[in-house]
Order: sequence, then structure tokens, then C-alpha cells
Amino acid sequence: MDVLKYAIRKLVGGIPLILGVTFVSFLLMVYFGPDLTFEMLGKNPTPEQIAEVRKELGYDRPFLVRYAEYLKELATLDFGLSDSSGEPVSAMLLRSIPISLALVTPGFILGNLLGVLLALVAAYHRSGWIDKAIMGFSVVGMSISFLIVIIAFQILLSSSYGLNLFPVRGWNVHSLYDYVMYVTVPTLASVFVALGYNTRFYRAVIVEEMTRDHVRTARAFGIRPGKLLYKHILKNSAIPIITRIMFSIPLVIVSGSLLIESYFGIPGVGKVTFDAITTGDQPVLKAVVGLTAVLFVITLLLTDIMYRAVDPRVSLK
Amino acid sequence: MSAVTDKMMDVPAVNEHHESIWGKALYKFRRDRTGMLGLGIVLVYFAAALGVWFGIWGTEWSDVEGPKWGAMSAEHWFGTNIIGQDIFQRSLYSTKTAFEIGLIVAVLSTLLGALLGALAGFFSGTWIDAVILWLKGVLDSIPFYLFVAAVAFALKGNPWAMHVAMVSTFWTTTGRLVRGEVIKLRNFEFVEASRAIGVPQLTIIFRHIVPNTFHILLVQATIVFVAAIKSEVILSFLGLGVQDGVSWGLMISESTMEVLAGFFNNFAWASIFLFVLVMAFNMFSDALQDALDPKKVAES
Repeated sequence: MDVLKYAIRKLVGGIPLILGVTFVSFLLMVYFGPDLTFEMLGKNPTPEQIAEVRKELGYDRPFLVRYAEYLKELATLDFGLSDSSGEPVSAMLLRSIPISLALVTPGFILGNLLGVLLALVAAYHRSGWIDKAIMGFSVVGMSISFLIVIIAFQILLSSSYGLNLFPVRGWNVHSLYDYVMYVTVPTLASVFVALGYNTRFYRAVIVEEMTRDHVRTARAFGIRPGKLLYKHILKNSAIPIITRIMFSIPLVIVSGSLLIESYFGIPGVGKVTFDAITTGDQPVLKAVVGLTAVLFVITLLLTDIMYRAVDPRVSLK
Repeated sequence: MSAVTDKMMDVPAVNEHHESIWGKALYKFRRDRTGMLGLGIVLVYFAAALGVWFGIWGTEWSDVEGPKWGAMSAEHWFGTNIIGQDIFQRSLYSTKTAFEIGLIVAVLSTLLGALLGALAGFFSGTWIDAVILWLKGVLDSIPFYLFVAAVAFALKGNPWAMHVAMVSTFWTTTGRLVRGEVIKLRNFEFVEASRAIGVPQLTIIFRHIVPNTFHILLVQATIVFVAAIKSEVILSFLGLGVQDGVSWGLMISESTMEVLAGFFNNFAWASIFLFVLVMAFNMFSDALQDALDPKKVAES
């Protein structure tokens, strides 16, 4: 019951954030976004035709009215038809979001899991050569551009100049085998890049915990390294780790896969949104931006509840 | 008489390393070999960028004079690209582009972060703080590449759209760190003292408090510099980045077709130039962070 009350209060508290995100995005993407009037008209339109199309697109109404209408659409989750394909926006999102999720999930999980593992190993051997090797690797990982990693992995794994094991690009998934074939190269690339940042961040968190007195005491009691790392260190450093993982989720879903999707030609939600920005497809933009903002607030809420789950000392007040 | 003044002048000068945080940091930084190596490499790049800026070298980056996909030779050190432009010249010229983007974005977003962070921290708990935190939350919640795309289209393809978008999102981390530090600093005696003698509030913030956050600003500026040149590559690939001239990002996105045909020069050299600079900057930034960490300085 407490949790429910807390959740409701938190959701209400998230309203300014939702309003802010939707307002800024609306201003940028819709109000100042591309003008579709002349794309919808034939050659040499009359002023009446222009006015009619502008009315149809809603360009003639005041900004605040358009924004208010958008909020109404967001509240009812009814975004209408895409301007460029005429397809219902909800259908486009239902088609593309699962693809993006299938694409990024393995890399996201592996990147964080391996990051924590490497960080634990590095922190345990602090200042030793293992630590130095892992941290050196992570600085290298941080310094290589994601784009370079993608291209390099593509050359190495899916072109005739390398091992030529996987398809070069595309997303033609009908079975588990297809899925593995198409997802491997993007996953390896994103794990490679994420590992650099993740390992470094998690190592800092874990080292901080490791220098605490209770860990020294536990060591003095002769607790096994595995138990020490898991129970005394990892559990106590769970809060910053959870924060980092949770907060990257909304961004990973929407834009984290944009580069991979556009490079490999995968029709995920990042690509759909990007195309919508470049073509001025306002219904799609409104839907994605609004949903991202809502997702953010929900993530904030879930993160707080998870704090409580991992650390009973945190109170939900 | 003069001997006495000399002595008085000398004594603090000798001990200066151990007196100020900056002296200690410098001393510590100089002994950090990785950091010094990083700084050295960054300075070499900077010299290369200045040379391009003054038109000493890298002037033939757009000339079409070599063969299509020429191999590496004495004439074209790194070979030529699909239309016969010299890859060495282009990589060199891109150094200038990278420094322009990095410096502009790093300086502006650090200034903005310092300004908003200091205001939020000094007035924490008031509506000013609430508004700044809200703004930060909003900017952090909009996916970065989509934000850049939106700004680029809102500014009608203006070549500065990329810079505007980066500055308006990259200040948030700096702002958060400065805010935290200012909240700590504003309860110090020197602030109370300046308040007691009637120093105006804005003077207190920007003359007395903000200079004490310079160590954060310096480290953040190097981090933002790296983030900016790395983002440029991806944005240029997506068609939102550098509009005129050439950059490593543009070279890499040109090369995506070439690598599938088996010509790696463009891709490899742009990647190497970018990687070495980013790596060196990361090493420099890490060493700077270690040297300026007040906790660690106090220990040594």
C-alpha cells in the first residue's frame, strides 16, 4: 500500500518533467520542424489550396492550441495516421519497438553484466597488473568511436575481407537462427563500446565500497573472496549500479540503437523516429517523444522502488 | 635590507608547490607519465590544427588530383579516396575541424554549466534551483541524436546546429557537479565573511565561489571536448554534422562504401587520427582528474 501511494505521488511529481520534455520536443520537432505544406500540394497551388492544406495539417492554429491538442492525444494514446506512409502510428510503433528491443537487449545485458564482472576483478586486484590491463582496455574501448567499431566488426565478421560469417546488413528474421545471425555483429559492437565506459564506472563504484571499514573487517574474518565480493561489496554498491542501468534504459530503447539501425538498415524505432524527424512526420514524432518522456518518469519511479528492494534502509517517503 | 626582502620573497616561492592546490596538482601531474604523454600528443595535434588554421599545411584537402583509390605512395602518403583526393591532407585538415568543434563546445558548455550550476547551487531550495534542475531533467530525458536532428531541422540546416545541440545538452553534467560543490562552498566562512561586509550576491557567486570550482570545470571541459569530437563522427555519419569542409566523421562515413569494395585507407587513417587524439585526451583528462582531486591532493 505504501508502495502504491508512493508510486502515485511520484507519477504526479513526474508531470512537470513530462510537460517539459514534450514541450521542448514539440517546439523543436513540430513547431520549427519541416513544413509539409508544399509536399502535399501539386505544382502552382492557389492561395486557397495552400490555406486548405495548412488547415488540414493544423499549421494555422496557435502554438498553444496545437500543444494542448498534442497533450490530449498523448493522454488518450491516439496519435492518428503517419503523414508520410498513411499507416496508423500505433501500428508502426508496435512493429518497430519489438525489433529494437530484440536488437539491443542482448548487447545491453551482456555489456552491463561483463562490465560489473570485469570491474569486480579489476577492483579486487587493485593496482596490480590485472587491474591495469583491464583499465587500459577500458580506456581504449572508450576512445574508439562507436561508428569505427561497427565498421571494423562488419569488415572482420561479415565481409569477404574477414571471416564472412554473418549477413552484411538488414533484418530478415523468421527463426531463431536468423535472429542470431543478424543480431551478433551489432551486439558484439555495442558490447565492445559499452564495456569501456561501464567497467570504468563500476570499478570506481566498487573500489569506493571496497575501501570501507566493514570490508576490511570482513577480510580480517577470513571471508572467501567470492562471498566478500558478492555479499559485502557488490550488494552495497547496488544503488549506483542500478541507477546507471535503469537510466540508460529509456535512451537505449529510443536512440541507443539509432546508429546501429541506420548503419545495418534495421527498421527499428530509432530509425523510424529519425526518418520522421527528417521528413517532418509529426504524428510519429509526437508519439515517440511523448512515450519517451512517460517512459522516463516510469523509469524514475521504478528505480526508486528498486532502491528500496535492494536496500531496506531507503524509505519511500 | 635587500637580503631580508629577498628572503621574504624567496621562502614562499620555494614552498609554493606544497601551498596551493594548483601547485600541488601541477607537481603531481608532471610526475604522471601517462598524463604527460597524453598532453604531449594533444599538443602535437593542436600544433597540426594551428598549422592548418594559418594555412601552412593541409591546404590541398579538396584538390582532386590523384587516381581513384590510389595506394599509399611518396606523393600521396595515405593514398587517395574515391574521387582522388589526398587522404593525408584531408586527415590533417580534419584535425582543425575537430579542434574547432571540441574547443567551441567544451568552452561554451563549461561556461553554461558553471553559470547555471552556480546559480542552482547558491540558490538551492528556491525556485531558481527548481527551474534549473527541471531544465536539466528535461534535456537529459530527450534522446541525444534525436535532439540534434530536431535542432538541425529547426535551424534549417544551419552548420552551427550541431554545436548548439551539443552545448545545450553537454552542460548538464558540469552543472550538476558545480551545483553540488557550490552547495558545499556557500556555507564556508569566506562566503559568510563577504556577505557580512556587504558584497553583492552575484559578486559572491562569480568572484568568490565559482573560482573555487575551477578544478571541476577544467576536468569537465576535457571530458566534453572528447565527447564533442566523438559525437561529431556519429552525427556526420547521420548527415547532421559538419556541413562544409571535411572531418574525420565525414571521411569515415564516405568510407562506408569503400570498405565493402576493399579500400581501407580512408577509413583506417581517419580512425587512427581520431583514436589517437581521443585516447591521448582521455589519458590527459584522467591524469588531470587525479592531480586535481582535492582528497588525493590533501594526502600527498
